[in-house]
Amino acid sequence: MIVERSGSVQITTSVMGRNDRFAALNRECIRAAGIFALNLISSPGAGKTTLLEAMARRYGGRMAVIEGDVRTRRDAERVEKAGSRAFQIETGGACHLDAEMVGKAMETLDLPGSGVRLLVIENVGNLICPSGYDLGEDMKVGILSIPEGDDKVLKYPSLFSRISVLLISKTDLFPHLDFDVKRAVMECRSLNPDVRVFTVSAKTGDGMEGFFGFIDEAAESASTRRGSMP
Amino acid sequence: MHELSIARDITGIIARVLGGPRRLDRVNVTIGPLSGISPESLRFCFAEVARAEGLGEPELCISEPSASLVCLDCRREYSTGNFYDGCPDCGSMMRKIVTGTEFTVDSVELDDGGDGRDDR
Repeated sequence: MIVERSGSVQITTSVMGRNDRFAALNRECIRAAGIFALNLISSPGAGKTTLLEAMARRYGGRMAVIEGDVRTRRDAERVEKAGSRAFQIETGGACHLDAEMVGKAMETLDLPGSGVRLLVIENVGNLICPSGYDLGEDMKVGILSIPEGDDKVLKYPSLFSRISVLLISKTDLFPHLDFDVKRAVMECRSLNPDVRVFTVSAKTGDGMEGFFGFIDEAAESASTRRGSMP
Repeated sequence: MHELSIARDITGIIARVLGGPRRLDRVNVTIGPLSGISPESLRFCFAEVARAEGLGEPELCISEPSASLVCLDCRREYSTGNFYDGCPDCGSMMRKIVTGTEFTVDSVELDDGGDGRDDR
């Protein structure tokens, strides 16, 4: 491109465009394989991995997990031990996963024809940055745990306005902490009227059947999308 | 440190369009109120990143338009600068976001004092 020495140059480019192109490719692969894909987002320690262990015990080889952390393979090892395949992305510093990283992980997992019906991407623990990055998923699932408090939803509108499912986790701690579920749900619905809400304890199993039923229906629906690979 | 990597994404886009680093007077971007990007944090990082990437010391001009929404209950069109406002007529939060999530590099003004590379 020949650029003059001075003057104005139009660029008109979306900053997220590159990520969105990778996300579109991921989405195409996921749909062609008839898989249902979730992007699981929460702050560190809200219970994402414990939830995935419970899901792995139920779904086994029908589920694959892409783990995102700054460092260590701890979470992938926990999921593998519980019965599902997992690929660990170590970002080395990035506070969120992006679609290019997830695309490479998907290639390594080699999902088409593997029997996997459910792909869960466990994002880096962070209530802010992951919300802006489309990874190619079908739905974003946000987790808010009882110890975090019922006043957090409106503090993080970018995430809670974009999720399809809100999981209120660690309900086994209700007797020990003050958490007003109605308030948290109402505030989430004020940003996101269509959001589905489940209150769960992955530790005791409380509420998990309802969440599993939702996943089963969604995965069944997704399997009808299966087609030839691009 | 997120806006730091976003600043690098911006300078990368500029350098790709211009065919390499060039000294700039101005960089014009648009940040919608529902994009999740913090203009203040971006300003904080951008000057250092631009300097380090050979773009000189351009002024970062951030356009912050309102979001345009359509109420899905009463069809009223309205604008807002945040996530929290419902329809001014019926109060509903069921809405279609027409604009408001954009985050774009719009244009740059070249520094007519010359480019940032040695002449070959």
